[in-house]
Amino acid sequence: MRTTFDACRLPPFSSESPTAPPTLVWETIDVSESVAIRYPVWADGAAGRLLEALRGAGARLAEVPVRDLVKWVGRVADRFLDSGDPIRHKAVDLMVPTAGLSKEMATEILIGMARDWTAERLTELLRREFQDPAVLDGFCRLDEGRSVRARGPLLTFHVGAGTVPGVSVTSMIRALLVKSAVLLKPGLGDVVLPVLFAEALAEEAPELSDAISVTYWPGGSSALEDLALQTADAVVAYGGNEAIGSLRTRTPVTTRFIAYHHRLSVGLVGREALTSERAPHVARTAARAVSMFDQRGCVSPHVIYVEEGGAVDPGEWAALLGSAMADLEAELPGGTLTAADASAVHQMRGSAELREASGSGVRVFRANQSFWTVILEDEMGFTPSCLNRVVSLFPTPDLCRVADALKEVGGYLQTVAVEGAGDRLPMLAEALCRAGATRVTSFENAPWPPPWWHHDGASVFAGLLRWIDLEETG
Amino acid sequence: MSDAFASLARALGTAFKESPGDPWPDDVFDRWARRVFAHQVETNAVYAAYVRKRGVTPSTVAHWSEIPWVPASAFKAVPLVSGDSSRVQRVFLTSGTTDAARRGEHHVLDLDLYRDSLIANMRHHLYAGGSGGPDGRGRADGEGPILPILALAPSPTRSPESSLSFMLGTALDVLSGGEGGFFVTEDGVIDTVGLSEALVEATAHGTPILLAGTAFAFVHWLEWLQGRSGGFALPPGSLIMETGGFKGRSRVLERPEFYAALSEAHGVPVEGIVNEYGMTELLSQFYDGPVYDGRGAATPEMTLEARRHVPPPWVRTRVLDPNTLSALSNGEPGLLCHYDLANAGSVMAVLTEDLGVAFDDGFRVLGRAQGAEPRGCSLAMDDLLSGVPS
Repeated sequence: MRTTFDACRLPPFSSESPTAPPTLVWETIDVSESVAIRYPVWADGAAGRLLEALRGAGARLAEVPVRDLVKWVGRVADRFLDSGDPIRHKAVDLMVPTAGLSKEMATEILIGMARDWTAERLTELLRREFQDPAVLDGFCRLDEGRSVRARGPLLTFHVGAGTVPGVSVTSMIRALLVKSAVLLKPGLGDVVLPVLFAEALAEEAPELSDAISVTYWPGGSSALEDLALQTADAVVAYGGNEAIGSLRTRTPVTTRFIAYHHRLSVGLVGREALTSERAPHVARTAARAVSMFDQRGCVSPHVIYVEEGGAVDPGEWAALLGSAMADLEAELPGGTLTAADASAVHQMRGSAELREASGSGVRVFRANQSFWTVILEDEMGFTPSCLNRVVSLFPTPDLCRVADALKEVGGYLQTVAVEGAGDRLPMLAEALCRAGATRVTSFENAPWPPPWWHHDGASVFAGLLRWIDLEETG
Repeated sequence: MSDAFASLARALGTAFKESPGDPWPDDVFDRWARRVFAHQVETNAVYAAYVRKRGVTPSTVAHWSEIPWVPASAFKAVPLVSGDSSRVQRVFLTSGTTDAARRGEHHVLDLDLYRDSLIANMRHHLYAGGSGGPDGRGRADGEGPILPILALAPSPTRSPESSLSFMLGTALDVLSGGEGGFFVTEDGVIDTVGLSEALVEATAHGTPILLAGTAFAFVHWLEWLQGRSGGFALPPGSLIMETGGFKGRSRVLERPEFYAALSEAHGVPVEGIVNEYGMTELLSQFYDGPVYDGRGAATPEMTLEARRHVPPPWVRTRVLDPNTLSALSNGEPGLLCHYDLANAGSVMAVLTEDLGVAFDDGFRVLGRAQGAEPRGCSLAMDDLLSGVPS
């Protein structure tokens, strides 16, 4: 017996609204043995009315003070963080089958995400991004001779990737803070949190009820997709190159297009961290960085470079990492994988074990009943992971040489977690930045960038905002 | 060591040739499989170390299903030779990897064993007359028609690293009495004129033929034909064998549409169109047709979904749960894992990236586990087939 989850949260089309609720036809996809996803199939007429209603809501939203938006979103975050709130349990129970995560990992991700949606964190975000967040509400005199104000789009259309649950909600919140109505098409692996978030936000703030719509459809297949690309003032797209490319070509040139294509991250462990005191701790934080999101995040390391010449050599550290991966598997078990993902692990792991068996210097540390795998390579290089907790370790004689090995993936490189670089860190950061990295951090912080991070190198609101200067005039 | 392999290979080849096509009883397969496994552990140090890490030895294996598999991608990682590697007769290369430098290699110690496997299996499915041919047109010795092979693939001399070309070349020599030819030129372009003439000639002489090639080459061929008026009406008994999928390298056709187009263009009923499921990593193949009944009449009620790929008697195929790797019951989709005795000189047990479902009478391939890189016989050729002259 399957539970059916409606991957859809639409405006109420209330009696005050000029548009009547559209009659929708629904499709169903079985996403697991226990859960099916139901989504509406949009015809042109219904799609047009939805977008019209959202634009109308966007115009009203522009009049809402930003501090109210922060407060309301924060209340929803507090509910997700409250282990006694039914919405928390509903979210976790549905994330497990839809995102292919264990219950423990789903809970960890929900808490980690919702922490950054609280009023406190959003206030801090606005404070860091704006000299005075009141510029979002009206003209502020910020410097001599001019006042400025910032306006967001009337309507943003968000297309989620679905690899990590919660990312789409963060994207919606950013748009709401700049007072944009939101239409989100989540990825299949991230349908639950946006729908529950939108429902809860409508409960906390009926004023926002008609400003946010979430509805799933298989990418490229809906009349709503084409119409939304034509109608929205800004498009925010997460996904693979093909998906992004397709959306970009269908978006009018006058529409702002903000793209987050797939990225990958790596780790570096230097000699200074390879002392007998530090090495086990670094292995534990590295194991957590690799395993968080079952390695499906753009911040998840695919590869870790380990410097030779420390008290703990790369082989010993690989064993420590393997042991930490095993511990973490017990604490935050891996999820049930799709056939494709599982197959990819079997192929990559089995091939590595044959290279190990061939007498090369390759060594493989692996789980017997789950997917985590540590592959210690014998030559410098880069091998993208098949994900789901498979990490390759490359010994390197000198951390500073790693940037060269990363040049070939520069277009995809994002986070570099560095431990034990000592006073070489500034020089190393410069080299990594030349190689294309946009974030250098610790393993501990790698999975959870703060809300104000320069995601893929851009300011949080830069793509969404239009700044208006009011210069002194007579 | 090599003598041991030579005698094993001879014994296997004889068993293949003497096998009428019915599945071997499990105990018969099991005895062979454990003999091959023992040979592989003894002579293949890499595989032996891999097996040892799993705590398995020939003496601990109580049943062939416990023999450790290698992933298909392992053929890209290390040479897998069970025997004297200085005696490798041919290295076949996989195609279709995104990284051409890392193509899979199947080092073959004994091409005769490969020949014995492919010929016995192909004869049973495609040259059997009675159950295989639609019109009773057979040879005096009771076997099926000779069926010249017209191949939409490069010849084995032009493409010695292609296992498909080797297979078709061997079949042309042994089963087709040397009749037929290869219609892909060395630069990868289809010899459309030559193939047209050969098809016209076969039709004029009333000689049924086997038209065989990669799926995407057929798509290119069909596209060329579309620009011409009329198709062919091949003599009854003609068969079409397609293999390898489209690999994202030609227009993708759904199978019913593809078969309808092939049937229409060549005058071969859909029942006479066969998919060969094979891979460079395995020296045995699987066919899902033709689907004629015993008297040679078509069985139109057999849908394409109802077709089954049938392992030859010396192959067992298991369907494994992708997450737990335990064997699944019939009807449940999972990863296909083949145990192929014709691989005695490399590694017998190979876990593929293909999803399939097992049934009592064979298995159905559901396609590649999505997300895996495209591969198969078709791809390398398609790089060359950028333009078919028209």
